[in-house]
Amino acid sequence: MRDLKGDNASWESYDQLLIATGASPISPDVPGADATDIFGVSTLESGLNIHRRLDKGGIKRAVVVGGGYIGLEMAEALVMRGLEVALIDRSAQVMGTLDEEMGALVSQALRDVGVTLYLAEELVEFETASGKVTGVVTDKRTLPADIVILGLGARPNTALAGAAGIPLGEKGSIRVNERMETGIAGIWAAGDCAESFHLVSRKPFYVALGTVANRQGRVAGINLGGGYATFPGVMGTAVTKICHVEVARTGLQEKEIEALGLEHVSAVIKSRTKAGYFPGAGEITVKVLAEKGSGRLLGGQIVGKEGSAKRIDTLATALHAGFTVEEMINLDLGYAPPFSPVWDPVVIAAREVAKKL
Amino acid sequence: MPTEKLIVIGGDAAGMSAASQAKRRRPDMEIVVFERGPHTSFSA
Repeated sequence: MRDLKGDNASWESYDQLLIATGASPISPDVPGADATDIFGVSTLESGLNIHRRLDKGGIKRAVVVGGGYIGLEMAEALVMRGLEVALIDRSAQVMGTLDEEMGALVSQALRDVGVTLYLAEELVEFETASGKVTGVVTDKRTLPADIVILGLGARPNTALAGAAGIPLGEKGSIRVNERMETGIAGIWAAGDCAESFHLVSRKPFYVALGTVANRQGRVAGINLGGGYATFPGVMGTAVTKICHVEVARTGLQEKEIEALGLEHVSAVIKSRTKAGYFPGAGEITVKVLAEKGSGRLLGGQIVGKEGSAKRIDTLATALHAGFTVEEMINLDLGYAPPFSPVWDPVVIAAREVAKKL
Repeated sequence: MPTEKLIVIGGDAAGMSAASQAKRRRPDMEIVVFERGPHTSFSA
């Protein structure tokens, strides 16, 4: 242990050790990446660093690199602060965890709030002057930038664990059993540094999300406290929003289903967040994916106005239960005009999929 | 029997959830959490 204030090193012995070292934002391996005013976002402190930098003034143009959750949420925050915001992504869509047609809705939402998108563009380097970032160079253009936000995903902080000989798994995360114990007795791991398990693909899976970290930490703590608990796994459920548009996903997306060699049918439906005639009803688009033949639910995605995102929890619960799309049709979900159409949008989508099996 | 000692590296969501669960079940357990940053459990 090294004291970061006094730089004093000390030894601590343990009977049980929990590694909960989290993850760090991925920094691109391009020239200029170590310039000032390039920020990753992973902790409260890293967010505050951006806040403090913006408060200092002189920042007009922001470039966000990467169109995932962090990139989207930061683009929203910077737009709300009145900055000119551009977002680049190497893939042809933002939100790579959504299928193409659903990702396109998110792209449109970003454009609607004034974010300029440069998709299918590769980051080449950062332009700098006296060690400060001044521009972002892609394979197609140079964007002037006073500040750059990195949203390229996160890598588990497992250098220490790896060096100690603890077996690692998916994306370098620490391999754990269902009780969150690592391959070395007495050493446990939980949170963004630990591996998870995908309940739909039935394969090891890595995801860095606070909700997963809380659940894994709880399980580790119960076991460390002499109890017995297991962490079954995750389904990649996640929600976010970009200004007035909510985004949600759970389970497997098309490319994941194809990678497993499964065949699927899907439907994309448009409905309303409340009864169509009810004031304030907004558009909602739902995609549901199910296994061909069996109708087993495989995943779902939602993009829509306020009241859309948390409908993903119905799909996530159905997925946990191993439901088929037919079994979803008669779910006794709540209905009254201020909350939903008579048929909830997720059930409308399930019905459409069931017709195609 | 000497008190069992748990060391937790990282004091955010996973580390603090685990530490609080363990302490609730085993009040006698000595638990030490190390956190690099100035905040613990910042999303809780």
